[in-house]
Amino acid sequence: MTATTAPVRPPLPAPAQPRRSALPFVRWFKNPWRKPRILETVTWVYLTWSLLPVALAVAFSFNSGKSRSVWQGFSLRWYITDPNLSVLHDASLHIALVHTLLLGVVTTAVAVPLGVTFALGLDRWHGRLPGFWNIQMLLSFVVPEIVLGVSLYFLASQFPFNTPMTTGTTGQVIGLVTFQMSYPVIIVRARLLTIGKQFEEAATDLGASRVGALRRVLLPMLFPAIFASAVLVFADVIDDFVIVKYLSSGSDTDSVAVKIYDTARGAPTPALNALASLLLAASIGAILIGYFGYRFLTRGEGKTSLGSFAGQL
Amino acid sequence: MAAGSRRSRWVWPAFALPGVVWLALLFLLPLYIVLCLAFGTLDPVFRSPVPVWNPLQWDFSQSKYVLTHLVGENGVFGAAIWRTAVFVVVASVGCLAIAYPVAYFVTRFGGRRKGLLLALLIAPFWISYMMRMLAWVNLLQTDGLVNRALSLGGLFPVHVDWLNGRSSTVVFGLVYGYVPYMILPLYAGLDRIDQSLIEAARDLGASRLSTFRKVTLPMSKAAVIASLLLVSLPMVGDYFTNDLLSGSPSTAMFGNLINNAVLDPGQVGQGATFLILMFIVLLPAMAYYVRSTRREEGETV
Amino acid sequence: MAFLEACSKKDTGSTGSAASAAPTFSVASPEHPVKWPIYNDNKPIASGLTPESNATINIYTYTSYLDPKALKSFEQKYKAYNVKCTITTFQDTTEALGKIRTGGVKADIYNPSYDQVGKMVTAKLLAPLNHSYIPNISNVWPSFTNPFYDQEWQYTTPYVLYGTGIAWRTDLVSEDISKLTNPYDVLWDPKYAKKLSVLDDYRTCMGMVLLRNNLPINSSKPEDLALVHKQLTEMNQVTMPKVNVTDYTDLPTKIVSLCQAWAGDAVNMLSYMPSGQSPNVLRYWGPTGSAAAVDNDLLVMLSETKAPVMTHLFLNHMLDYQVSIANFSYNGYQPPQNNITPSKLVADGFVPPNLASAVVLPSDYDQGQHILELPPADDAAWHTVWATFKAGA
Repeated sequence: MTATTAPVRPPLPAPAQPRRSALPFVRWFKNPWRKPRILETVTWVYLTWSLLPVALAVAFSFNSGKSRSVWQGFSLRWYITDPNLSVLHDASLHIALVHTLLLGVVTTAVAVPLGVTFALGLDRWHGRLPGFWNIQMLLSFVVPEIVLGVSLYFLASQFPFNTPMTTGTTGQVIGLVTFQMSYPVIIVRARLLTIGKQFEEAATDLGASRVGALRRVLLPMLFPAIFASAVLVFADVIDDFVIVKYLSSGSDTDSVAVKIYDTARGAPTPALNALASLLLAASIGAILIGYFGYRFLTRGEGKTSLGSFAGQL
Repeated sequence: MAAGSRRSRWVWPAFALPGVVWLALLFLLPLYIVLCLAFGTLDPVFRSPVPVWNPLQWDFSQSKYVLTHLVGENGVFGAAIWRTAVFVVVASVGCLAIAYPVAYFVTRFGGRRKGLLLALLIAPFWISYMMRMLAWVNLLQTDGLVNRALSLGGLFPVHVDWLNGRSSTVVFGLVYGYVPYMILPLYAGLDRIDQSLIEAARDLGASRLSTFRKVTLPMSKAAVIASLLLVSLPMVGDYFTNDLLSGSPSTAMFGNLINNAVLDPGQVGQGATFLILMFIVLLPAMAYYVRSTRREEGETV
Repeated sequence: MAFLEACSKKDTGSTGSAASAAPTFSVASPEHPVKWPIYNDNKPIASGLTPESNATINIYTYTSYLDPKALKSFEQKYKAYNVKCTITTFQDTTEALGKIRTGGVKADIYNPSYDQVGKMVTAKLLAPLNHSYIPNISNVWPSFTNPFYDQEWQYTTPYVLYGTGIAWRTDLVSEDISKLTNPYDVLWDPKYAKKLSVLDDYRTCMGMVLLRNNLPINSSKPEDLALVHKQLTEMNQVTMPKVNVTDYTDLPTKIVSLCQAWAGDAVNMLSYMPSGQSPNVLRYWGPTGSAAAVDNDLLVMLSETKAPVMTHLFLNHMLDYQVSIANFSYNGYQPPQNNITPSKLVADGFVPPNLASAVVLPSDYDQGQHILELPPADDAAWHTVWATFKAGA
């Protein structure tokens, strides 16, 4: 046999060399494995832009003068010492703070159970009727708050029969629950989809009653979602403006947000900054209580995530 | 299972009943009252609204007034509605331009600091919207910190009146106020994108831009649309941002039309009409959201 | 039917069906003074009753318009009865009246001007007064015991007087507005675009446009209102004003360079000047004589009050000389007290010389034009024009 050489293949073209740019910046920019410095800068700039104004507002609440933009010295004047205008002495301000927290707690206490039972019912009840109500519930979630606020105000003021729905605290709670009810429903339903039916079916196969399976198997599994929705509802309610304003019956049922809106357009003093800072402190306190309470209640059950404080599951 | 099935058929509807009753009385009924006021009459002496409950007796004169004064030579209300559309589109795009990079960064490159970054991103939820607007009202005053910073501590005389009826200030306020509400849904959506797909694209030689364009962007489309909806719909009903940052009718929004009309007894019928108009205009967007959520829940749309 | 009646809300006066006779009300003016009827189901309370204990008096008024110290001194005076006073604020009187009618706010005292008295009396929203509880009425100008809008002061007590004009800062406005042929024109001057504000009150602002064109301040003629509509639209396009009632803080903090202002606000601006800036830059111009636009606000008792005796005593308290003077220092508005001589206000140091034109003289009040109550159809026409202005057309 003649020694045959393998058929000569034409040489493969040399691998394409990326054109090396002369500019070091462009080279750096195009490197696929570099650290994302630009994105990182954007993120930190965003965070500063987002939080610095609030930090400044809190700082100026300790201003000793009336200005909210010129620093005149440190003082607790707007919190405690000013005899007429401080949060402690001006009844309209501290009443607003207490009322806001009251609305938050009561609304959460009503909306979350209502929403959770609604979610369970909608999820397991099949047919066109629950489909219709599901659509209504989703609509109430996505509609602008002014639509709900104004229509509830009309209910309170134009409905010819006497109902508990009047302006004032009761009306505000009812209105806020209506607006917030969809949050727990959506979150819990999403969670139910992930969980699926197998655990309950296993429980009933093992002899538990329907309700028993619910209570002892499903509810504990839903606990993170229920907790997350309670946290979200509380945060949203203490921040609420439109519904609280439309259903307010006077200065004793104004919330902090309403107070800020009314006063900021007039002659605000740093007392307003102080009021907002106090509400912020109360919110942080609520988060901490919630966070550590949650960790205590779910100790040993796996890790919690900060994302649950914003509804992420 | 047979023994309990007949009784248990009513368990789940019973669970849903409180929610159903609540929605019927406090969502559907008030909307019907809105209709009855929009198509109602006015008391001749006190000019106060009189709702007409029977649809057969509905009076369309007030609604006709609003509709004939939207556009054209009599058009007085159309300007505010059009302005709102422009503001909302610009502000939503602005929010997206900020939220997407930030969410993307935290998802992909957060690393060890992801928890801290998330906490900082969530913080605005817990800070009252009004307080955040108040912070900017303080800063944007004529002798406030923004003007002083721009004048570099007094080098150049800068006395821009930011709070005097400027559309740019209102749009800025909307972006600042609503961007946190966009970041979290975007983060959740981007988080679901499998990192290995991106790395595969890279390994196959795609550049950063190509990878982004062909892999990340299409997979994040649903999250982008959902978060855009969740931000632009509340913006349409916003009236307080304009009141705080401008206070001038030249930047009045759709929400201001409703708010001004509703607080004046003689114009409640017109206010109710505006409300119905807003509902109808937003219905396509709201229906889209409802459909996509129901699709996710696995129900027949 | 009985069930429905039992469930129905108490009739606040709105006529639900067209069949019931729609009560009309007389329109009061200086030429046609009106004595309101006292209705059988809305009689004044008896004399000599003890004040209620543990009452909360809620006053519904503008922001920064009533001295908080007046409330505190009242609480102190009647400490034995454990009374508390609160203030709820509104942005404009149309919204306020709407809320009172629908029960949207629970208040005891309201602070309107006389352009709403007829409607409120006819709707039985006001409680008639028992004069034996309000002896301090002798402190105020005698004409207020028999004003044209409420003869024999059956439902109202006077609060403060004010003119309406234009205020500006000399460091931001180079011309002297009071020397112009028509000072009102400055609100349409493009030089001041986005640097001025007008008052968020439909009668005050639209009335100003009528006065600019030498028309009567209460005119409801269609051609006059059409002219007002045209000029307000022009204002929106040319100078884009802010529309609010915070002129007393906006001008001192340079948010605006000039503004339509109530005279009392001009005086009040002194207390809002930031430290380090001289109050001498403030100026005010108001028309005088028969072109003056002078009005007074009232304090009235709402019929929904749960503490009528205490409310009477509060009304009496506000007419006290010391309380009035303190209130004047707080909000800058002149009370019509006998012991305050308007011509001496500048000399006595209550009002600085650069704002001397903000003082309301009795001659202005007698000769000037007043914002009177309008018949319902005219009122509707006015509101229609105002709504289009606020919509930013």
